[in-house]
Amino acid sequence: MENITEYLNCLVEYLKYPVFGIYLVLIVVGGLTAVLSKNLIRALIGLILTLFGVAGMYFLMSAPFIALMQILIYVGAVTVLIFFSIMLTRAPDGDAGMETDGKKINKQVILALISGLAPAFILGIIIFQKMPGALPLKPETSITILGGLLVGPYSLAFELISVVLFAAMAGAVLLGFERRDKK
Amino acid sequence: MNPLVLYHLTALLLLGFGLFGLTSRKTLVGMLISVELMLNGAGLALVASARLTPAVDAVGQIGTLLVMGLAAAEATLVLAIILVVSKRYGSVETIDISKLKG
Repeated sequence: MENITEYLNCLVEYLKYPVFGIYLVLIVVGGLTAVLSKNLIRALIGLILTLFGVAGMYFLMSAPFIALMQILIYVGAVTVLIFFSIMLTRAPDGDAGMETDGKKINKQVILALISGLAPAFILGIIIFQKMPGALPLKPETSITILGGLLVGPYSLAFELISVVLFAAMAGAVLLGFERRDKK
Repeated sequence: MNPLVLYHLTALLLLGFGLFGLTSRKTLVGMLISVELMLNGAGLALVASARLTPAVDAVGQIGTLLVMGLAAAEATLVLAIILVVSKRYGSVETIDISKLKG
C-alpha cells in the first residue's frame, strides 16, 4: 500500500510538466485562432479552446472550484453571449461574422504586433528577474472557506459585484428596448 | 524554470494575444473576444500567485471569481452596445463608426 502511494506520487511528479505542456498547446493554438482567424465563429471556437486550457491549468494548480466556475461562466455563458452578438449583427450583404480585408492591413498588423509585444517584453523581463521561487503547492482550499470569506470579510466586494451585474443587465435590457422603439 | 514563472509566462502570453487582437481586429465582436483572452490571463496570474506564493490562497481565488463576474457583466453590456451600433450604423466594423459628426 505504501509502495502504491509512493508510486502514484512519483507518477504525478513526472506527469506535471507534460500535462502543463498539453494545456499550453491548447492555449497557444486557441489564442492564435482567436486573434488571427477571419471567420469570427472560428475565432470563438479558438477562444473556447483557450478557456478550456486555462481551466485545465486551474485544475493543475488544484483549484478545482475556480476551474469549474471557469467552464460554467466563460464557456457556458460568455461564449454564448458572444455567439449571439455574432449571430445578430449579420451585415445586409455579407455572411455573419466575417471580417473584411482592409487596405492598410500590413501596417495595422505590424502596429498591433508592436502593441502586443512591447508590454509582453517588459513584463517578461520583470518576471524573469524578480519572480520569487515557487512554494510547493498548498493543500486545496475548500469551498467552505471561500464561501465564508465571501459572506464575511469580503461581503462588500460580493455585494458590489452583484450591483455591477444588475446594472449591466438592466442597461442591456434598456438598450435593447430603445432599439425596438426607434424602429 | 519554476512553475510560478511558467504560469505567469502563460498569463503574459494571453495578455499579448489579447492586446494584439484588440488592436488588429476590425470588428467589435473580434475585439470583445480579445478582451476575454486578456481577462483570462489576469485570472490565471491571480490564481498562480495565490497558489504558489505565501499569499493567502482563498483571497486570490475570490479575486478570480470576481474577475469572472466582471467579465460576464462586461460581455452582457458589450452585446447590447453591439446590437445598438449594428442597428444604427448597419455595421459593426470599427472603421465605419469611428467618425465624429461636426
